[in-house]
Amino acid sequence: MGDLVEIENLTVAFRSKRREGLFRSGPSLKALDEVSLTIGENETFGLTGETGSGKSTLAKVLVGLYRPTSGTVKLLGREIDYKKRKDITFLRQNVGIVFQDPVRSLNPSLTVKEVITEALIAAKSIPKKDYDERINFITKLVGVTKDLLPRRPRELSGGQRQRISLARALVVPKKLLVLDEPTSALDVSIQAQVLNTLKRLKSELSMSYLFITHDINVIKYVSHRLGVLFYGRLVEVGDTRTVDIEPKHPYTQSLISHVLTLKKVGLQETVVSEHRPAPSGCRYRIVCPAAFEKCAAVPRWIDLGGGHLVSCFLYDHSSQKETHPPLQTVAAKGGGLQVPPREPS
Amino acid sequence: MAVDNVDKREARQTLAPAIGAQPGSVAHPREAGGGDIALEIKDLTIDFVSVDGSVRILNGVSLMAKKGEVVGIVGESGSGKTTLGLAILGLLDSPPTNIVSGSVTFEGRDLLKLKPAEMEKIHGTGINMVFQEPLDSLNPVYTVETQIGEALKVQRKRQDPPVTQEAEGETKRLITDLLRNLCIDKPEEVLERYPHELSGGMRQRVAISISIVEKPRLMISDEPTTGLDAYVQSRILGMFSAQRKAGETLLYITHDLTIASQICDRIYIMYAGRVMEAGVTRGVLQEPLHPYTSTLVASVPQGYEDAPPLSVQLGEPPDLRNLPSGCKFNPRCPYVKDVCKETEPKLEEIFAGRHAACWRVDKELGRFS
Repeated sequence: MGDLVEIENLTVAFRSKRREGLFRSGPSLKALDEVSLTIGENETFGLTGETGSGKSTLAKVLVGLYRPTSGTVKLLGREIDYKKRKDITFLRQNVGIVFQDPVRSLNPSLTVKEVITEALIAAKSIPKKDYDERINFITKLVGVTKDLLPRRPRELSGGQRQRISLARALVVPKKLLVLDEPTSALDVSIQAQVLNTLKRLKSELSMSYLFITHDINVIKYVSHRLGVLFYGRLVEVGDTRTVDIEPKHPYTQSLISHVLTLKKVGLQETVVSEHRPAPSGCRYRIVCPAAFEKCAAVPRWIDLGGGHLVSCFLYDHSSQKETHPPLQTVAAKGGGLQVPPREPS
Repeated sequence: MAVDNVDKREARQTLAPAIGAQPGSVAHPREAGGGDIALEIKDLTIDFVSVDGSVRILNGVSLMAKKGEVVGIVGESGSGKTTLGLAILGLLDSPPTNIVSGSVTFEGRDLLKLKPAEMEKIHGTGINMVFQEPLDSLNPVYTVETQIGEALKVQRKRQDPPVTQEAEGETKRLITDLLRNLCIDKPEEVLERYPHELSGGMRQRVAISISIVEKPRLMISDEPTTGLDAYVQSRILGMFSAQRKAGETLLYITHDLTIASQICDRIYIMYAGRVMEAGVTRGVLQEPLHPYTSTLVASVPQGYEDAPPLSVQLGEPPDLRNLPSGCKFNPRCPYVKDVCKETEPKLEEIFAGRHAACWRVDKELGRFS
């Protein structure tokens, strides 16, 4: 059991605003499609993917801002019923969130101290006389100096604002902290400071993180395990090191190969084509260099050992028949088991 | 159909097809004026004047870009990178900004002394700029086709000799080809759309294609990939690398060292409106002389979860209204000495091709000490 969060077959669909008739609503859009994952105690789970892949939707489901269309979310072994107020309260007592935009996520009319106090009041469980002590404790921990407390968010820099968001999320101890692109609006040196703080906090407060970002360098640096989303579907999950060194899904391979690092000096010659998700089956099959007939169906999860899971027919040998192409063909098409060396088009 | 003469494969490689090129005509007077140096900025100082007093946003910035070079301007928010780009184009409003001193020489002419009408002739085909937020730089009430077409028209008019005639539907075909080369799916459909109907990455590529189509001799791009994910970034960088092959000079403004390391030949590291270090990209990033450059390099996350903390000092970006005396980086610098707090170091050549402004850099030894 040991897992803090268990998400099973989570689907979140949004109804399109466009209606097809007076009584018929338009097609619904699945922002998340049958996503299953677990987050262990004291673990940092990194979730990455392109814009629109559903990363933030998952974050919002975990704090009860969106309701799942189907599927279950279990926190500390308790299944959350999103229709029950009690369960939502339980969720929010244990899960904190830090949003990307440090400007819009803080109330401009409140002082820093009031922003943090609001979280304490909302928790209801903490006696009023402990407020000051708690605020002192948490602000020291996240690196906010006392002279900032009477100020308002607009007087602060982006890094300071993000630290205050952190303090607000953690002033009531949480089991899980959801970090939705917490550093992408910050300058690089400030990002580094916030990342250091986050790592230190985690060991001091013993909690888990769900770290969401599109920056692979950052996610590699912070997370124990990594999940890759492609248009609402999880395509690969595994130990960060394993996924980074030996990505299995063609999408992950391509994603990892496009990460820029300081060591990679020289121009990126490849130009990638537009990503269009397929309406059915494997979502990546339209652009996938290794796609074959089978991919029209939804691939199942293949366990590659050591907790490394991939959702791709290339590794599905259960019904290995004539439909599976020989691997040479795959390699010739530019895909294959290794990071495909892409030809400049 | 003159365009059909152009080798299709070559056009694809350079991404910008030889638009309007006619047999015998010079596509662009690339060699005009300036010799080897495309852009030279000398000692540019700019103040921002407001009711609260004046703030120096650029302080004695000197910069040089050779023809066909990609020069990176790297710095964090408030370092004056964007101001520098706008100053080159003469887009700073005065007031509130006030150019105190300095010169911006482009093809032998000081841009700061040109009249608005003369400057307008340089805009577009001489120098142009891609802005960070394409939604702000694209016109919301015109379609993509109209906007790219407008740029194309300007480019044709300014050609020598000007192209006034065009074959039926040629503009549309050229724009479609251009968009297709930028990996935009179904370019015919995209042409009909308005900026708000496009995704961030698409918009940025449309903005860039407006720039490309004008074939500027100098292109300034201000954080064109900030906020976009790895794929879109990769596509856009691919376009710039193709531009470079076509021999265009590019000034690339970014805060991201990993991008700078990919596409820039030389970089200038800016802090608080000053150049702190300059040199060949690889040299600057692999063996930084200035502690600020080291901080930036150390800020790039390396390794996995069990890696040690990133070695950066605490500190905030500088507040230009309230700068410290001496070296502006001294409150954040781990190697600060007394002299750093008293006198500001000048940007000096440490060894061939490398400049740094730091008291701790020994000119004799040619390294940090």
